Amino acid sequence: MSDANPSSIEQKDAPLHELNWQKVSPWALAYFVMHFAVRFIRDGIFNLLPIGFVFVTQVENKLFWGQIAVAIALSALLIYSFLYYKSFRFCISDQHEILLNKGVFKKERLTLKFSRVQNVNIAEPFYFIPVNLVNCIFDAAGSVSQEAVLPGVTKEYAHKMRKQILAYKAQSNEKQPDSSVVHTKMLPSNSLFISNKEIAKFGLMSNMAILALAAIAPLINVAIDFLEKQLITKMEGFYEQELGLIANAAFFAMLTLIVLLVLFAVLLSVGMSLIRFYNYQLYFKGQKFKRVAGLLERHQLSMSLDKVQSIVIRQNFVARLLTRFTVEFLQASSGGVVAGTAAKKNKQTLILPVLNSEQVDSVCQWIYPWFSSKKLAFKGAERALLYKNLVFYALIPSLLTVAFCLITEFSWFISIGVMAVLSVLVTLSYKRYGYYFHEDNKRFYLVVRKGMIGVHYRVFELYKAQSARSVSTYLMRKSSLKNVYIQLASGFAFMPYIKDQDADFIIDFTLKQVESDRRSWI
Amino acid sequence: MFSNQQITDLPQHKSIAFSPLADKALLHAQLSWLTFFIPLSIILAAVCYLNEGVANAAQQYLFFGMPVLLILAMVYNFINIRLQGVAMREHDIAFKKGVIWQHMTILPLARVQHIEIHRGPIERQLGLASLKLYSAGGMSADLQISGLTHNVCKNMRQFVQNYRQDEVIEQAEAINE
Repeated sequence: MSDANPSSIEQKDAPLHELNWQKVSPWALAYFVMHFAVRFIRDGIFNLLPIGFVFVTQVENKLFWGQIAVAIALSALLIYSFLYYKSFRFCISDQHEILLNKGVFKKERLTLKFSRVQNVNIAEPFYFIPVNLVNCIFDAAGSVSQEAVLPGVTKEYAHKMRKQILAYKAQSNEKQPDSSVVHTKMLPSNSLFISNKEIAKFGLMSNMAILALAAIAPLINVAIDFLEKQLITKMEGFYEQELGLIANAAFFAMLTLIVLLVLFAVLLSVGMSLIRFYNYQLYFKGQKFKRVAGLLERHQLSMSLDKVQSIVIRQNFVARLLTRFTVEFLQASSGGVVAGTAAKKNKQTLILPVLNSEQVDSVCQWIYPWFSSKKLAFKGAERALLYKNLVFYALIPSLLTVAFCLITEFSWFISIGVMAVLSVLVTLSYKRYGYYFHEDNKRFYLVVRKGMIGVHYRVFELYKAQSARSVSTYLMRKSSLKNVYIQLASGFAFMPYIKDQDADFIIDFTLKQVESDRRSWI
Repeated sequence: MFSNQQITDLPQHKSIAFSPLADKALLHAQLSWLTFFIPLSIILAAVCYLNEGVANAAQQYLFFGMPVLLILAMVYNFINIRLQGVAMREHDIAFKKGVIWQHMTILPLARVQHIEIHRGPIERQLGLASLKLYSAGGMSADLQISGLTHNVCKNMRQFVQNYRQDEVIEQAEAINE
């Protein structure tokens, strides 16, 4: 067993294939401390809430015992991290495997074959910047538990590891017939840089404001109590004295507070976006994407083009006002929604947060040269969908509103407004549905569109489909209509209310592509 | 719209001849329903027996409602089982089901990630089994077929496990030549 850390190995230029167990750099201790602190806060804090409640309500000398508790927790964290560091060993075997020995109370051996590694990501956390070290992260598709991290290695070592693994995978792939190699060799090198001003717009567009509010939800009661004592009464006084608004002072105070809270959430969201995507750089060369971004941690994500299952282009209501789009390159998320969310958390999804329409076309053309969002001639859903949705989502709720108004003695004219708004939304949603087939160089693609005020496109090559399904009701069959679902390894494509013959053709043609194409889909 | 409809060798899923489920599939569906219905009836009867207020309010409705519910559910099960069908093709497996919303799902064998065979106590008594086939990215099993005999399930599992896409395509190409 060798005690040499990877930085010294790199200096000695020792060959990687030697089967010798190695320690990581002592600086990796900082990673373990941060890692376990974050895990404790994320997973353990809610379990300690009952103890916290007892502490707040029952303990008299809170400051003293609080300090003791914090000191014990910190000591435990440091001791556990140190023991974990001491037991952490890794080695690269001759059988092209990454082996990790780790654990304090429960010893674990993790074996990750090179062939199973989807990406080798290099992250540069802020605490490693002064010592010029990085974390080397090996992703296995869709499985967080199979993620292996080598913390505190030199950049050169991490790049060497990445090169070694990707070379091994490329060599393995050469043995399999893959016509995509010929296709992509011709692609030039491309790059995209997104300014931090644009990244800030992602904070406005994304739902991070809601996530930020959800993060502070456990503290909301405390916050409201504090705000009521400190702010609302003072604001009420201000409105009463300065503006003479005695009758509406409480209302104005509450309104001001809500506006302030929304502004706070938006600012928080913008901050989170900047932390995540600061100085965003994306490169595409040959068959691979490389993305570098992040403020506290410069996260480097690499993704092979053949791993992309579908591309999602989305624009929500705010993004529409800003005329921007978000593009996501999705990898396989076997195991359903939970794994899909895990894949996102695990940073396996390549997100291009803020792009204008020209940039969207340009980026998509890197991999699909035919793609031009303005030239996609979508075929929409049949009008029966509009009539059905108008009845279910506009007429019936409006009739319920009429009944409610009659019972509560409100003016039933409200229901006309409800009917008008719901009808407009239903019509907008109906108009968004559409699908578009494209053939390019004997390859077949499907673009599916949906949305209401915003818009959502999903682009994928047909042979990536996992299964096909048609659904119809009695009335739909009478009108020769079907809904079609194409299941993908990352989400699904939905085409509602399309004619029988078109639906059958889509299903048959998709199955033909899947079943006759010998390329590996993953 | 992609319009090269002239392709002649496109396999038509509409012409698939589906096989019905096993003979005892209907019995299994009815027994499964009864294992829910009988305990529910006993609980409701016990509540009416112990609580006079509930009995006065609901006894009459339950007396007529429960048999109607039982008959409706049994008729629904009968139609549901009759409408289900399964078919194995060279490259995929197809399954249709549904009374109000009729579904037809086709799962290419090259995309099957793993297969499970489940046998509950009633299924074991009747010699039946359920087959679950998973692909990548689905919410749960892409195909879940209940009411097959255990032997059929095992044969289907074997067929899926033995499937090699390249070999089947090469054989088909050789025949065409």
